[in-house]
Amino acid sequence: MKDVLAKIIDTAVETFRAEYVEVRAQKLYKTAITVKETRVEAAKQGIENGAALRVLVKGAWGFASVGTLDAQALSGAVSDACRMAKAASARRRLPVKLAQTEAVEDKIVSKPKKDPAKIPVENKMSLLLSVNNTALQEDNRVKSVTANYLDLTGTSYFINNEHTYIEQDKLYVFLGVSATAKENNVFTFSNEAVGSTSGYEVFDAETPTKMGKTVARRATTQLKAKPPRGGTFPVVLAPNVVGTLVHEAFGHLAEADLTLAGSVLSDKLEKKVASNVVTFYDDGTINGAFGSFKYDDEGVQAQKTLLVKDGVLVGLMHSRETAQQLSADPTGNARAEDFHFEPIVRMRNTFIEARDYTFEELIEDVKFGYYLKSFRGGEANLDGTFQVGIQEAYEIVRGEVGEPVRNASISGNTLETLFKIDAVGKEFELWPGLCGKGQSACVGDGGAHTRVKEVMVGGSA
Amino acid sequence: MAALRQEDLLRLAERTSDLALKKGATEAEAYVFQDLSTYVSIERGQISKTSRTFDRGLGCRAIVNKSLGFCYTNALENEDAVEETVLKALDFARANRPDDNWRGLPDEKPFPSVKDTYDSRIENLPVENLVETASVMLDAAEKKDKRAFPIEGEVRASYLSSALANSNRVSVDDRGTMIECSLATIGHDADEVTPVCFEFNLERTYDIDAAAVGEEAARLAVSALKAKKTETKETTVILTQFALQQLLSYTFISAISADRVQRDQSFFRGRVGEKVASEIVTVHDDGLLPGGIRTWKSDGEGVPQQKTLIIEKGVLRGFIYDNYAARKEGRESTGNGARASYLSTPSVDVTNLHFQAGSKSAEALIREVGEGLLVNSVQGAHTSNPASGEFSVVATPAWNIKNGEIAYPVKGAMLTGDVFHLLANVSGLANNERKIAQVVAPWVRVENVKVIGK
Repeated sequence: MKDVLAKIIDTAVETFRAEYVEVRAQKLYKTAITVKETRVEAAKQGIENGAALRVLVKGAWGFASVGTLDAQALSGAVSDACRMAKAASARRRLPVKLAQTEAVEDKIVSKPKKDPAKIPVENKMSLLLSVNNTALQEDNRVKSVTANYLDLTGTSYFINNEHTYIEQDKLYVFLGVSATAKENNVFTFSNEAVGSTSGYEVFDAETPTKMGKTVARRATTQLKAKPPRGGTFPVVLAPNVVGTLVHEAFGHLAEADLTLAGSVLSDKLEKKVASNVVTFYDDGTINGAFGSFKYDDEGVQAQKTLLVKDGVLVGLMHSRETAQQLSADPTGNARAEDFHFEPIVRMRNTFIEARDYTFEELIEDVKFGYYLKSFRGGEANLDGTFQVGIQEAYEIVRGEVGEPVRNASISGNTLETLFKIDAVGKEFELWPGLCGKGQSACVGDGGAHTRVKEVMVGGSA
Repeated sequence: MAALRQEDLLRLAERTSDLALKKGATEAEAYVFQDLSTYVSIERGQISKTSRTFDRGLGCRAIVNKSLGFCYTNALENEDAVEETVLKALDFARANRPDDNWRGLPDEKPFPSVKDTYDSRIENLPVENLVETASVMLDAAEKKDKRAFPIEGEVRASYLSSALANSNRVSVDDRGTMIECSLATIGHDADEVTPVCFEFNLERTYDIDAAAVGEEAARLAVSALKAKKTETKETTVILTQFALQQLLSYTFISAISADRVQRDQSFFRGRVGEKVASEIVTVHDDGLLPGGIRTWKSDGEGVPQQKTLIIEKGVLRGFIYDNYAARKEGRESTGNGARASYLSTPSVDVTNLHFQAGSKSAEALIREVGEGLLVNSVQGAHTSNPASGEFSVVATPAWNIKNGEIAYPVKGAMLTGDVFHLLANVSGLANNERKIAQVVAPWVRVENVKVIGK
């Protein structure tokens, strides 16, 4: 493989005078299974081979993606990419430059205890059927259950004209389960997800029974739940929710491409952006976590990046391009979903660092507020407006967890809300997620239970 | 690599379907798809990059005694890979369990002709034209107002083609083009930053107005500056097509999908013939809409696309079906077996969800509002509850309406409620219909929407 790719690099440099050129070649195998109730709707397997070629010519990017590893086709594609770059450079004002990185030669072999590629599809179907049967049998008000399984294995080959060559195995296992329940014309909806980069052994801990029961219970609890009051309240966020808040309300704004685009963090480096108890990391090195990897898609080694220390913004997440623009070091955050896409700045595992409160201490002083236990999704905006949808929540009444509420969401502005975090708990958890930014990335979000003095809660009561 | 010609695609689909039968399938289907796209990207006020992506592949559904398997590959140039794909689909079918509700693949039917879905000028567009279009759009935004900053944008031309063959003698190919320009901006002035504002123009034929997109994206951003917080109240809300499309995508569209109705996940179950919306609301799913973003002659499993009545003057008339869901009820598919690409199996989805427009101008719709909000876009619609239709989202950007006029921009306003009350409370429709992704609609005015503010 290396020889074929090296020739492509030479073509770009010698024929088209490319300042920079990289090729990412991939051989990917995917298995996807969808089970609705007790019916296996689709058991799919697929092979995708292809390459992404990115070049800098006259200060502009050219990019080509082809679904083949054929040497002649790749050579055609790199010429295409160079011609594309030239067309773009005609209107480019400032040339793109990249931060320096060390040349790397490495080979990363994944060593799962249980390789998903070697588990027979029958076993995977049984696992999903078992999740669904558990959920359906848990409570007859559960009307439907959908389990979506995906595993991806394969190898990525990265080469550039700066003498970096990396072969890196890819391994992802993901299972998402959602359930609906119904009673007296009340409809509820719940979901739960498991994701790992270690191997199929993740299901030894996250068993089908556990997952089935969780989604069923979450859907049926909401049947009796009331809508939240709309307004501003104190909230305690579980790790699953605070992780999403960190990801949405802060993380996206600290992706350096968005910071440069003018996010509310753009002039805040070395300044206070949160209360003293807030420390945020984005960490690509946590073993087995859903957002972990050894090298990013520009061949830069992943690291543990400190973003906020005791309330002060100390770092951003970078690609080589944004690092150069802001005179920073690349952080290994340039990721591409696969060879159909180019690398852009993405998060890895993003979290708030644990501190010293117990859960009881966090809620004991709250007269009336909400305990937000599990999220349904979230979305950020460059002006700092965030929204996090909540699928499982409870009232907090006079220092104790009270009745369930359904379909809540929280919203606010990042810079106001982060200052209102006044206590962080000690138990740390990380949850898998899929983040969309024009392309999809496997990430982890988490932290410890966190109290926010006040935040806007959307509710119809 | 060049795109395969239509006759080659079709031959490949037919050959693959036949091979699956020969290897032991009771029924088989092969779907071949290719997407050749060229696009220019804008990042942070400049053209940053030009790209060309070529994606093509084949998916094979094999059925063995009512048990389904599916496999796909993108290695089309390799005969062995295609055969391996067929064999794996068969393996998966044999590993699967029979489905008693399986009533066979679609049968042969005549296909309609569709209008304005292919334009050879787009298929053959030189990349320089796209760069020029991107420049026109950027220049227009900059000229409009210096306080608007174009953060990202794109000009994209795509050629899409597909072919499908199954063992019931369905054999169909289709091709189409799309051209799109889009620009996202933020307004900034002193310390203030607005939410991201977005404008775009996507057409199937070579007829886009890049300057208008750039200008509007800049106008929106500037008009969102100096935003104030709002009070908590129940009020009149006018939803532009963006906000409407976002809210419907995760609620209404689920509720009219037959598979969800059958699985008791829809608020509409058992309510056909009942009034479910204001009587000024009429909605079709129109797979044949001339120039529609999702207009094709065939759906993703070889069923002719059609126009299906969903809501007529507020009364629920029907649902959308793919072949599987339809035959489960002894009906015919409505041509809503959607397929994202070669790597997916068909599933129920809308084509062009068409909200019939009204006769009032947008200005007249606003003029009738004493106190309310104009909402351009919402944040967090994907966190709605698809079964109940409940949502809790933030309006970004939005403007306060006072005495029939747009008064000032509003920040941080949350909207909560459910989409069914929303539809029941529709009080006005403008005549400014446009297409946004899978929705074609005008501005929609809704009464009594709960807004949560400071």
